[in-house]
Formats: sequence, C-alpha cells, structure tokens
Amino acid sequence: MLQFKLVLLGDSSVGKSSIVHRFVKDSFDEFRESTIGAAFLSQSIKLDEDDTVIKFEIWDTAGQERYKSLAPMYYRNANAALVVYDITASDSLSKAQSWVEELKNKVADDKLVICLVGNKLDLCQEDSGKRSVEISDAKQYADEQGLLFFEVSAKTGEKVNDVFKSIGESLYSYKKEELLSKSEQNGTNTHGQVDLQLQKPATSDPTSCCT
Amino acid sequence: MVTNGGDPLRFSTGDGIDILASKEKFINYRFKAVRSPSVPNFHEGNYKNLNSSEPILASPIAAQPNYESDRDTENLVLNSEHDGTNSLIDLYRDEIVHENKDSNDSEEGEIFTRKEEEIENSSEVEQAFSGSPSKLVSVMDNAEHFDRYGFRKQNNFITEGVYNKWWEGYSQYCIRRKHKWVMLLEKSGLSVDNDMPTRFPPRSEKLKRYVRKGIPAEWRGNAWWYFVRGQEKLNKNKDVYEKLLVKMGDLNDEQQRKKLIDLDVIERDLNRTFPDNIHFQKEQFQNKEPPMIQSLRRVLVAFSLYNPKIGYCQSMNFLAGLLLLFMDEERAFWMLVIITSRYLPGVHNVNLEGVNIDQGVLMLCIKEYLPEIWEYIYPKQKLENQHKHDSLNISTEVLKNEFLFKLPPLTLCTASWFMSCFIGIIPIETTLRIWDCLFYEESHFLFKASLAIFKLCEQDIIKDKPLHKTLGQYTLPNSNRTSRYSRLSQDDYDMEIFQIIQSFPKRIIDPNDIFEKIIFKKRIALNRLDQQEIDRCRKYVSNQRLKYKNYKDLIGDQESLKKTTNRMNNNINIINNNNITRESNNNNNSNNNNNNTSSAAESLMKEINMTNDLMNDTLSSEVYGFKKGLSSVHWNNSIKERVKQMRRKREKDYQT
Ligand SMILES: Nc1nc2c(ncn2[C@@H]2O[C@H](COP(=O)(O)OP(=O)(O)OP(=O)(O)O)[C@@H](O)[C@H]2O)c(=O)[nH]1
Ligand SMILES: [Mg+2]
Repeated sequence: MLQFKLVLLGDSSVGKSSIVHRFVKDSFDEFRESTIGAAFLSQSIKLDEDDTVIKFEIWDTAGQERYKSLAPMYYRNANAALVVYDITASDSLSKAQSWVEELKNKVADDKLVICLVGNKLDLCQEDSGKRSVEISDAKQYADEQGLLFFEVSAKTGEKVNDVFKSIGESLYSYKKEELLSKSEQNGTNTHGQVDLQLQKPATSDPTSCCT
Repeated sequence: MVTNGGDPLRFSTGDGIDILASKEKFINYRFKAVRSPSVPNFHEGNYKNLNSSEPILASPIAAQPNYESDRDTENLVLNSEHDGTNSLIDLYRDEIVHENKDSNDSEEGEIFTRKEEEIENSSEVEQAFSGSPSKLVSVMDNAEHFDRYGFRKQNNFITEGVYNKWWEGYSQYCIRRKHKWVMLLEKSGLSVDNDMPTRFPPRSEKLKRYVRKGIPAEWRGNAWWYFVRGQEKLNKNKDVYEKLLVKMGDLNDEQQRKKLIDLDVIERDLNRTFPDNIHFQKEQFQNKEPPMIQSLRRVLVAFSLYNPKIGYCQSMNFLAGLLLLFMDEERAFWMLVIITSRYLPGVHNVNLEGVNIDQGVLMLCIKEYLPEIWEYIYPKQKLENQHKHDSLNISTEVLKNEFLFKLPPLTLCTASWFMSCFIGIIPIETTLRIWDCLFYEESHFLFKASLAIFKLCEQDIIKDKPLHKTLGQYTLPNSNRTSRYSRLSQDDYDMEIFQIIQSFPKRIIDPNDIFEKIIFKKRIALNRLDQQEIDRCRKYVSNQRLKYKNYKDLIGDQESLKKTTNRMNNNINIINNNNITRESNNNNNSNNNNNNTSSAAESLMKEINMTNDLMNDTLSSEVYGFKKGLSSVHWNNSIKERVKQMRRKREKDYQT
C-alpha cells in the first residue's frame, strides 16, 4: 500500500466537502456544514495496475478567501491537489486558476499532481442554461497547465471516483519511476529495500483498516 | 489581548436598578421590532403559560428525590429510575406543539426588501412560529430523534442509543444542578420569577464552581448576557443594532450589495449552519426560510456592517447560530461583538493572524503543562530545522521558538477549535458547558478545555510511539535511508495524531468527562493555567511572530544584499581585470570606481552582521511568562524599527 497526501482547494461552496464525502462515505447531503479551517479524512482505493492499494490522506480546506493565509500549512507536503470550481459559477474558475498558480509557485515538488475539477455537473444536465463555465475552456486551461481535468457531480456521484483513481494512477507512475531510478543508481543492494518500502504500511499501519 | 477596560473580577455593575429598567425597555423593544423570531425557548414565558404541564426543569419539587444524595456535589449519584428524562424529552416535544398552535400563514418579508413598518408589525412573534400541520406531523414523528435544543441526537460518532443512555443520567444531573442554582439565587435574594432570572450573585469561588457544573439550559441566555456584561455594552450602544438593520434594509441596490462580498459568503453559509437542527431546517417550515435563518442573516450582515475589519468569517455563522438558540437577535449580535473582540481577538480578522497567535499560545501551553504530549507533537522538525539553519548565523532563540512561526502540523486540526469555540468539534452539551465557563472565566478557559481534551486522549496519542521506533529501526543499515524513513514515520505519526485529535473530541458526549475527570482535579497541572498567563502568552507570541516576520523580511533583504554584494565584487574583479589591459590614462578613473564599489560592499556586509547580532539580542530578551518566568518579562521595540534607525545612522556616517 502507498500513502499520499491530497489537499482540496477552491472557493467556498463549490462542493469540496461534498466531493470528499461522496468519495469517502459515498453519500451526499443537500446541506452540509461549511468547513472551518480544515477537516482530515482518509480513504483507500485499489488500482487496476498491479492491484496496488493507495491510501489518500485528505485535507478538505475552507474556501473563504481569508482562509487562504492558512492554506500553505495544508499543501506544504501534499503529493496531490484537487482544485475545485463550480461549473455554474464562473468566478469560481478564476479562483481555481489562482490556486493553480499559487501551487505552481509555492510547492517545490515538481511531481505534485494537480487535478482541476468542475463540480455540480448534475445541475447542467437538468438545465443546460445553468452552465457558466464551458467544458472546452476549462479543458484547454487544464491542458495548457498540464493538469488532470474532470467534470463531476458530488450529488449523483458521477465521475467522482474517476478523479481519485486517475490521481492515484499518476502518483503511482511517478512513484515507480522514482523507485526505478533509485535502484538503478544504487545497484542491486537496495532492491530489497524498495520492496520493503512498498509493503511497509500494509504490515505495520494500524489505520489501514479504518475510515 | 483582553482589551475591554475594567477589572475582570468586578462584573457586578453595582447599578442593578439601571439594568432592570433598561431590561424592561428592552423587552418592549424586542417585541416591537427585532425580537428574534424563533428563539426556540425551552425558557420562554409564553411557552409556560400555554402549557398545561410545568416544565420539569423549573420545578424544584421534581428534583427533590435526589436532592439529599447530591449534598456532596463532587460525588454524583445518578439515579436512573427517576423519570425526569422522559419529561425533558416531552418538554421538547410540547414546545413544538406549542409552536404549531401559534402558527399562521402570513408571508415573511425578505430582509433586504423589508420596510420599517413591516418590522414594526406586531404579528412578528406569531409569524416567527409560522409552522404548518405538515410540520407538526413530521416533527411529532421525529421528536425523539432530536435533543432539547433541536439538534439531531445521532451523528457519525454517536448513536441515538448511546445518546439516550447518557441523557438518562445527565438529565438527572441537570435537574439536581438546577435545584442548587435556585437555592443559590434565593439565598442571594435574587428572584427566579418565571424561571427567568436576569441577575446572578456576585463573583465568588462558589459561583465559579456552580458555573463549571453547568448553568441550567433555560437560564443560559440570561446568564451569559449577565456574565459578559452585555447590558453595559448595549446601554452604551443604544439603537445601534436597529440602525444597522435599517442600513441593511437600504442595501436594496444590487450594485451596492455586490460591493460587500461578505453578503455572498453569508448567503452561502446560511443553509450550511446547523443543518441537523430543526430550527434551521426548511422542511420544518413548509419549505419556507426558517425564522431562525432570517435572524441569522440579520445578525451576520449587521455585524459585517458594524465591524468591517472582521466583516464575515466562516465560523461566525455557528457562533451566531448557537447564540440565537438562547437569546434574541440584538443580544446575540452584541454577544458576537464581545466574543470576537474580548475572547478571540483577531481570530476572525481578514488575515486570521489571531488564529495563528492562539495556536502558538496553545503550543506553549502544551509544552508547559503537557510536556509528555509535547514530545510527540514536536519532535523531529526541531532537529531537521537545526540542520537546515546551521549554515545561517541564526540565534538559538529563533530556533527554540520556531514552532511559533512554523506551527506544528497538529494546529491544522486545532485551529477550528478556537474559531468556532468548539461548536461542531465536540457534542453540543459539552460545548455549552465550556461556553458557560468561557463567559464567566474569560478566554483562558478555551485553552484549558483544549488542554483537557489533550489530556483525555493522552494515552491514544502516546500508545503509537512503538510503531514510531520500529520503523526507524529496520532501516538502520543504511544511514542515508534512515533519515528518509524516520521522516516518513514522523509523517505517518502526524496522520495518526490528526485522526485522534479530530475524532476523539466528537465522542465526548458527557461534559463531565472533561469536568469531573480533568478540570475539577486540582492536582492536574493544567488547572493552574489562568487568564493572566494567556494574556501574556498572547502578547509574547504576537510579538515573536511579528519579529520573526520582520526578521524574515530582513533576511530576504540580506539575501538580495548579498547578491548585490557578490555582483559588485564580480564587477570589481572585471574592472580589475580590465584595468590590467587598459591604457594608463584611464586607470585613475576606474580605480575610483573600484574604491567606491568595494566600500559599499563592505558596509553592506557589516550591516548584515549587525542585523544578525541585533536579532539574537532582541529575540532572546523576551520571556513569555508562565507564572514561574514572570519576573523577567520585558518587551522590546520592533526590531525592524531599530534596524532602520541604525541603517539611517550608518548612511549618515557614510555620507560625512
Ligand atoms: N446540485 C449539486 N449541488 C452540490 C454538489 N456538490 C455540492 N453541492 C451543494 O453545494 C453546497 C456547498 O457544498 P460544500 O461541499 O459544503 O462546499 P465546500 O466547497 O466544501 O465549501 P466550504 O466548506 O465553504 O469551502 C452545498 O449546499 C451542496 O449541497 C453537486 O454536485 N450538485
Ligand atoms: Mg467544505
């Protein structure tokens, strides 16, 4: 099992907590308490490739502008970031873009996986007039910036798991590269330790059973 | 920094008559204008009048059977045979019925289009309880699923069964405590008319103990208001709230409203405030906006107009929401003003610096009072950082206190404890007991309660230590790997702590877990923490953070200075090199340049060293002063100022 830290960023009320809740508990509440500071959750998924289990340790942050000053504490050691906007509110995309910029400027790790997520897809499926961010615009931006991109609905659950799966796959492929290059550098001796590391939490992590 | 003047020990205003007079006026006023439409009122007079059965909470007779056994209040005897439990739940259900009896179908105006005359409308109170037959049915069906404040009993951490079992005992406790309070008030010659006392005895150890054991739920609104000297504040600010409401009514203009971004955020949060409390649920009010939400909007918008420095900060919705369950709008508004200025200074400000300061203070408190836990919270980074900084010439004082600037990861969890004063962090009854103490004992109680929570889960935090060790061990063969693994394991360990610190408090359903097990035990060190220590620590942390920031800025300056110096040195070299091949008639000129540049570089280097020395001096001369360190407290001016001064002096020297 591999563990990764993931942080959710985005304007208030775009549905960050709802997405996490859908992912972790597979449920949705029309009215969920607004987040204060941040909440910590975790959830594991299994990738198709090699049956790898990935455990996400998730920080769901508060979206109000002023909480921005606390955000660096949350993304400090993150491996992945989910930057969420609301496809029915165009200003939330520009907020998301400023988050992407901040991440690129402040996070030293160039392996940071960033995924742009447009939420509340269900609203636009009901009534296409509600859409105020075109999928092509967002997609183009994501491509330019080298981000993963999805439109999802926390309410119906559509594509939510795909988001985490694809983040997991990216992280896993980075990890494999890293380990590979390491074992090449260090010769055969370290090979055993690479395996050891991959297995480590499965044998000793007492939390692996919970959520 | 507790800034409201006046001796905190003297809250008895001495002009009780004044308060009574204005209280009367206040009641008139609130019925006429801005009475909170939906104070749920397990304590409201008209509730009692309309009800056939006296609320059990108000009846000393009901509590009599247990009274004798409760003489020794340290030794609670919970008698589960008494049927007060059910009566209390019934009480709640009755209240709902009452609300519906009063129902009428008149339309509620939207706040932003509301005119003065409408506010004057005397049917406000009835409107407030506009329910519907369907609501009656739904709530009647569900009443047993909600507690006496309207919160759903069950949540992710506590089942209804667990809740009911606890409540069976705790409701008995409440009845006994209520009885004691009635006796205390009567002995002090204070009236308990209508079960709504408005004045309370003067401060004393005894009263403090009573407050710590819980203020009767139906008195809370009045008691909090009295203890924080709310009426004083209100008297000094007559009509302010009403005027704010008028101003709010004038915000019709889309243009104007757009300018106040807070309004948007407030709107988005209204339905996300206590979604599991029936007073905040649309479904309970024929899918119309619940009166409680309308009150909440008014209080929050009024506040954002009243104090633009804070405006609206997420978490204030919960503070105001809880206050509204216990008192009317105007009082809730002033309580919010008092909480955000007196008890949580700066915490809700736009830059949230108060949050960081309080987290720094909390870390100091843990370090001081729970050193066993501190070791687990702040172990590795210290060493790592020491390494990192070895190359720079930084004072040990900066290192020693680095956790005040780079707050430990744990504070990611604890920041919200302060922002919402534990709402949503621990179960509601426990939260309310902490609020009782907060308003009587001031902000240090928030820190004390936090420490108590840590103390309660100490075992959970510490038990993971072995894991920590083994991880480090099996990587010993390769020293390169060791640091990597131990860093990993520290991370894992942090995650463990997050899990514990986030979920443990949610299970503290019984307030007496905190109070009986920790707060009332004198020998537990953390109970020595007092308000003065917190005030000093807040000052200290805020100063240190400021200096560190200035220091960082200076370091930033210095980095660029160093770069400039290097560049100049390079230039000098280039010039020198060039000189070798130059014609001799140019030589004089460039030598001049050369001299100027090198002396500038020299002076810059001197300045850099000077700043470092200064920094070392300044930071180490401060003491945060838990009681033992008190003697040597003294503060310095901002270091930036001093550096500026010296720089100016140097420039002058240089010019002459
Ligand atoms: N229709 C629809 N509504 C959604 C969806 N996701 C979230 N919402 C609603 O949007 C509102 C805000 O959702 P939250 O999950 O609380 O938003 P957040 O991003 O966590 O907000 P903050 O905690 O304030 O930062 C809620 O009322 C949700 O019901 C969705 O996929 N579809
Ligand atoms: Mg949220």
